[in-house]
Amino acid sequence: MAPAQPGGWWTRRLAVAAAALSLLVAACGGGTTSTGTNQGGTPQRGGSLNYLVSGPLANWDRGLDSASGGAAPSIFEDAIYSQLFRLSPTGEIEPILATGYQLSADGTTVTLSLRQGVKFQDGTPFDASAVAWNINRDLTTTCVCSPVTSWPKLSSEGITTPDDHTVVLHFSRPYGAVISVLITSSVNHIVSPTAVQKLGDQFKLKPVGAGPFEVVSNLVSSQLVLQRYDGFFKKGQPYLDKLTFTTIGGDQPAYQAMLAGQAQAGGLTTPALIQQARQNPSLTVALEQSTAPWVIQLNTAIPPFNNELAREAIYYATDPDAMRVHLFNNLFTATQSFTGPAGLFYTPKVPGYRTYNLAKAKQLVSQLGGLTVDLFAGNDTISTTLLQALQTQWSQAGIQTTIRADPDLTRIIQEFTGKKWQAGLQLVGAYDPAVGAGLPFRFLSTAIYSGVHDTTLDQMMDTAASSTDKSKRAQQYADIAKYISDHAYSPFLFGAVTGATALKSVHGPGLTSSVPLAGGFPAPYWDEAWIAKA
Amino acid sequence: MTATASVAVSADRLTRRVAWLATSPSLRLAARRLLIAVPVLWGVSALTFVVMSVLPGNAAQQLLGAQATPAQVHQLELQLGLDKPAWLRYGDWLGGVVTGNLGKSIASGQSVTAIIGLRLPVTLELVVYALVVSLALAVPVALLAAHRPGGLADRLSMGISMAGLSVANYVLALVLVIVLAVYLPVFPAIGFVPLGEDVGANLRSLTLPALAIGLPLAGFYTRLLRADIADQMQEDYVVTARAKGVGPWQVLVRHALRNSLFGLLTIVGVNLGTLIGATVIIEQIFALPGIGQAFIQAINNRDVPLIEAIVLVLASAVVLANLLTDILYAVLDPRIRYGQRPD
Repeated sequence: MAPAQPGGWWTRRLAVAAAALSLLVAACGGGTTSTGTNQGGTPQRGGSLNYLVSGPLANWDRGLDSASGGAAPSIFEDAIYSQLFRLSPTGEIEPILATGYQLSADGTTVTLSLRQGVKFQDGTPFDASAVAWNINRDLTTTCVCSPVTSWPKLSSEGITTPDDHTVVLHFSRPYGAVISVLITSSVNHIVSPTAVQKLGDQFKLKPVGAGPFEVVSNLVSSQLVLQRYDGFFKKGQPYLDKLTFTTIGGDQPAYQAMLAGQAQAGGLTTPALIQQARQNPSLTVALEQSTAPWVIQLNTAIPPFNNELAREAIYYATDPDAMRVHLFNNLFTATQSFTGPAGLFYTPKVPGYRTYNLAKAKQLVSQLGGLTVDLFAGNDTISTTLLQALQTQWSQAGIQTTIRADPDLTRIIQEFTGKKWQAGLQLVGAYDPAVGAGLPFRFLSTAIYSGVHDTTLDQMMDTAASSTDKSKRAQQYADIAKYISDHAYSPFLFGAVTGATALKSVHGPGLTSSVPLAGGFPAPYWDEAWIAKA
Repeated sequence: MTATASVAVSADRLTRRVAWLATSPSLRLAARRLLIAVPVLWGVSALTFVVMSVLPGNAAQQLLGAQATPAQVHQLELQLGLDKPAWLRYGDWLGGVVTGNLGKSIASGQSVTAIIGLRLPVTLELVVYALVVSLALAVPVALLAAHRPGGLADRLSMGISMAGLSVANYVLALVLVIVLAVYLPVFPAIGFVPLGEDVGANLRSLTLPALAIGLPLAGFYTRLLRADIADQMQEDYVVTARAKGVGPWQVLVRHALRNSLFGLLTIVGVNLGTLIGATVIIEQIFALPGIGQAFIQAINNRDVPLIEAIVLVLASAVVLANLLTDILYAVLDPRIRYGQRPD
């Protein structure tokens, strides 16, 4: 998961206005029936769905070519390209355009089996050579969506295609998280090689895949209109005739647009608004748990946090439950480690974890002769709320805290690259801790965004990522969680949620029932989405 | 008449027409203002470039995000030409502008002219609609208020206009959607229908955004106009008109209002920049695919060619609006002849 996403000045003002307005809407609102998931009914064919996107999801300026678009547009790419694999609602890896995978016993070779008879939207075959072409292309792109930063190097054998429906990846060393990386990278979205060659630069505006929908029009970062691809491999699917993605300036206007009926679905992230939507009888809200919890990163390379006592004081002075319950309506799930509830190896409780204890915090601060901390974060609504809460909580323990909300991504990056930062409030983790923005991103000695420089921990992370045995990996990550806790490297807070919100007439996993946020963003199953006719 | 003679007559007419135009005060004013606009616009573009250059980070870093390695960022910088010195990049861009080429968006690779061409009509229509809404409300309300200063209509209109002035347009936008799109589904909450597709639907899609921008402006204009009309009503010419038996509404509309419109025109012209600025936020709330939406994304992406082009277009719009205002002065008041001393 990337650092907290920046928000503009007007986004913050809008959030304040939205909070006030929420009271108005609540006052004028309908019933108070609590709504849960909405899965039932026989799918009906036809209809048009307008899905609202905002924040980082609303930026597809780099285009929709899976090899250059970046992480954010995966919600669109799922619709256009479908996926080789996706996460099932229960978090298992489910083959879609692939039919399965096999990891060799030594963990160095992965065999992907592909579905036969599938055609891209331009009529060309989806086969092993197309997939191999895509993977080779993805490994050389500058996009952070490339698996190149997580996967080990390919061996001299590279990528082979024994037949039309089999692709074999030969790695130079074992890597247990290979498929976890694949499903969160560009490799999961296979483009038509013929269309790429034919369309050139225009491909990213009107891409061609083998997914359930094909592009009709694309006004970059404003509106993307798709229509059903009749040649989709699942007979009778997708159900929708038309799928539109519309950019909107935040949760409150998105919520109101849904109430007005101009949009049928979208993802809400503002806790107060999620609660309000749950109480609205015309909407269905499914809570999608995060894979990435909030963490207070401490820079152990410089004072004051090169002293373990100072780090312990922060652990004891921090009360995540008070923030979770009183500030975020109890929507968020507590954790004491680096994976959110929707991720692999989720460890909510870590033995020996230092929980809130004001007396101990005060004693440690006194022992240190006082503690002054500079804490920074992004300036999105949740970050700024947390910054203030932490400043207040820590002041009770005698910790003097300066808080700073950095206005954009570049400033946050500069904080880390400057190496002079003391404490940062960020998100950590991914679906699989080994994947790109996962555990190493925040804890590896050599990582730019890490405040920890511990070779033992580096070795533990490398071993856990290489392991091919899932139960063994679970134990290894539990050990890592304990190691981080024992050394008081970084207190963890809780994982945020996204409220998948839709009108009652809408149905589909990821729209009205929860599916894991593999890439940190909503991932509805577009091929299964449908709208009940009035 | 022979063909040669006919051509000679036409040429003569053309020469006389050009000579007449050259002596036209309004045209001379327009030409002078347009010439002055050139360094103004250059200054705006240079300042924008400097600001974007001193901001931390660049397009490569913004586009790749936090997970990008320094090597990936460097590679993209090379691809995008961001390794060149800033002055050279600005020079390249400016050279393109002079030849009518606004360049390509760093982020999307699309022609900037095409992006602006797609989006500018939406924003322009919104600006014009908001202006019409604000003036259509302000003028009659101000007249009503000034008709009997201190009366019920005056107090009520001043109270409402003060309330309108005090509410930020993005808050008003959300309230308007709740009232006029959710509870009374009269207008759509989001979206845009092009004018060429369906005129009625187009106006409906822009009504709430135009109200969100236009209502606070109407409050401002109402107060301004009402105060000016009240002043005018104390002038001698009004007393004279009344003494001649001209009715109170006629005095108000035909005499006082006409003179007060100068002040209003000035403020409208000056305010155009604010009006355009408001569209940036309002377009986000109402999901309008205008230039403001592209502007926000361009700033997020540090997409300098697109930012520069948008700033240039908006600055040109403000310059042109001010020029138009000055020309309108002449239209409204025959005494005013630019370049001539009024007798």
